[in-house]
Amino acid sequence: MPASNTRAGAAGAAPATRRVRGARLDLLTDTVMIAPALALVTLFVLVPIAIAVYLSLTNWDGFTIPPSWVGTRNYERLVQDPEVLRAAGFTAVIAVVGTIACNALGLGIAVLLNRSNRVTTVMRVLVFSPYVIGPVILGFLWASILGSNGAVNALLTGFGVERLPFLADPVWATATTVVVIIWASFGVNVVLYLAGLQTIDASLLEAAVIDGAGPWQTFWRVKLPVLAPTVTLNVVLAAIGLLRVYELVLALTAGGPAGATQTSVFTILTTSFSRSQLGYGAAQSVVLMIAIIAMTVVVTQLRRRGEQAVAA
Amino acid sequence: MRYSMRGVAILLGSAMAAGLLTGCASSGAEEGGGELRILANITPVLTKQYYENLVQPWVAQNKGVKVTIEVPSAEDVQATLQQELASGDVPDIVASNLDPVVAPQLLAFPEEDWVLDTPLVQENKVGGKIWQVATGAQIQSLVFYNKKAFADAGIDGPPASLEEFTQDLKALKKAGYLPLQTAGEWVTGAQFAMLANPQLLGSGDFYAQRNAGTATFAASPYKNYLDAYAGWIADGLVDRDALGLKYQDSIDGFTSGKAATYVIGNWIVPSIDEAAPSFDVGVFAAPSLDGRPAGQLGGPAQPYSILQASKHKDLALSLVKYLVSDKTAVTASLASEGNFRQEHPYKGSPLNQQVAAIHDAAPRLVLGTSGPTIPGGFGDELNKQVQALYVGTAPAKAAAALDSWWDLNAG
Repeated sequence: MPASNTRAGAAGAAPATRRVRGARLDLLTDTVMIAPALALVTLFVLVPIAIAVYLSLTNWDGFTIPPSWVGTRNYERLVQDPEVLRAAGFTAVIAVVGTIACNALGLGIAVLLNRSNRVTTVMRVLVFSPYVIGPVILGFLWASILGSNGAVNALLTGFGVERLPFLADPVWATATTVVVIIWASFGVNVVLYLAGLQTIDASLLEAAVIDGAGPWQTFWRVKLPVLAPTVTLNVVLAAIGLLRVYELVLALTAGGPAGATQTSVFTILTTSFSRSQLGYGAAQSVVLMIAIIAMTVVVTQLRRRGEQAVAA
Repeated sequence: MRYSMRGVAILLGSAMAAGLLTGCASSGAEEGGGELRILANITPVLTKQYYENLVQPWVAQNKGVKVTIEVPSAEDVQATLQQELASGDVPDIVASNLDPVVAPQLLAFPEEDWVLDTPLVQENKVGGKIWQVATGAQIQSLVFYNKKAFADAGIDGPPASLEEFTQDLKALKKAGYLPLQTAGEWVTGAQFAMLANPQLLGSGDFYAQRNAGTATFAASPYKNYLDAYAGWIADGLVDRDALGLKYQDSIDGFTSGKAATYVIGNWIVPSIDEAAPSFDVGVFAAPSLDGRPAGQLGGPAQPYSILQASKHKDLALSLVKYLVSDKTAVTASLASEGNFRQEHPYKGSPLNQQVAAIHDAAPRLVLGTSGPTIPGGFGDELNKQVQALYVGTAPAKAAAALDSWWDLNAG
């Protein structure tokens, strides 16, 4: 082998070794940096999930140790349980209608409030306040407003108009619950959309105006495409939050009338704790968790095209 | 390193879904000697202030001991306790009726005089264990009525049978009253059990027969009462919008004079006395199917249990002993809800004395919707099915739904 080649080879090997060492060092650094978070996620997320999955395969009553293994019996039972299926249906309605409404309202109101003056500042506070107050208080508040003897019906009967069964009839109660949940939830979407709107480069909007675009065209052709990642985040967050609704329903209707407004989480907690069937409740939790993950993946995949179009 | 918004969204979704499953994972029993936590049943009468006043003399005698009254954070005391048991963060004492399913988690009271003297102590044993001690006894199959409304409707005496009761309700409607006060929440099903359970359990332990498969709700007295109730709804004898009312609304509806009758337990007496309605209130035992005297749905009133996991069992026992045996404490408890206990007489109102007469005349006491042979949550399901009558469910279908639920949840 010629000496020059040997030198060249040695010279080439040194950077390669440095690159390998550098990569190893990066890997070690990454591992050290991520280890605490990974340990916490394992301890507080993965282990409880594993425990829940295990419990879902038992008939644990919450007390008896060890729980008896029942295999997939809890899963077979829940697909035939009318209470679980009805709660799943109502939860799906809340999630679909609520996600659309929260995002439409959130974006619309954010566009209206995307300017700085005293009125918009006050309006921002008012719009966000239901999210801050807390679902239990809101539930009791709306129950006192919309109950059969509530403020609205007192007003109606005062004018000689017949009462409306906001919380007394299953169809009305379902609609009322969905509307109250949307009202209590969309404030956070307004804030997120406002934040997104304020990151839009002013030069883009100026260019659109120079090109003769009106407010409507600017919104559809400039603002909305730029907001695509924010829309994805809002849709996912809203849907997840709505799939987990419980406290507001408990305070507003207690799942009634006749179980019409029981959500999946409401049923999980009732099954687990009022009936001491924690194994069956765990099976319902696992199914709901899978539904949430599946929904998240599907929504993000569907939104992918929109985001790619913006990037292009 | 760059992360896409999609990746973040998936991660967030997974983490939040996982959060559903981690809710039961927290733990941490409270340390700190001398502090007792009481998880208490809170009602319009049994307020947090009521319990604080009740324990105050004992606290004064036990310097350095702090008693904290805890309000249920879930649907009710039972659900809250079971959540706390699952999390390991339990109170020391529970002041409420409980489903016997939790009896293994509760301390066995010693068979001492102060325990054995409490009402229904033998009847309430589970596996020979005294797991709760009551301050008094209560009865619930009672119909409170507006005497003026009955006079206006030309009704000259309380009905004995369900049929007579229905006829009286129709007469009350013609006289311009809301015949029967009901409400949503838990009230609908509870009132139904107050009316129907004496008949359901009059000829033996129906619940045990149901577990053995020798009886069904569809072929039980429940079906007769469901038929009657559906008829009341169809005839406008109850408010069709009642499911939008809270428990307190139903009390107000009766004491305001708008409603003529109200089915509820004896605990309502102090509320009626305090409201001082402008009309005389009477009370009669819930009508039976054949008009003959039936039993009374009854049970322990203001009972207490101690958690085995309590770190202060001796203190807890001392406090419970005070609550169920000290003359002042017992009398205050009995008077608060108009409950009963032999050898602890107190001067009740005239209405309270009428209830006492019904209590004394009752041929027997029967169970409600929870007990050793009843699947947990049956009361909720009964409530749901009675409420379903308001939205047009046929009584036969409601009874069949109770049977299906029982089959799915028993055993």
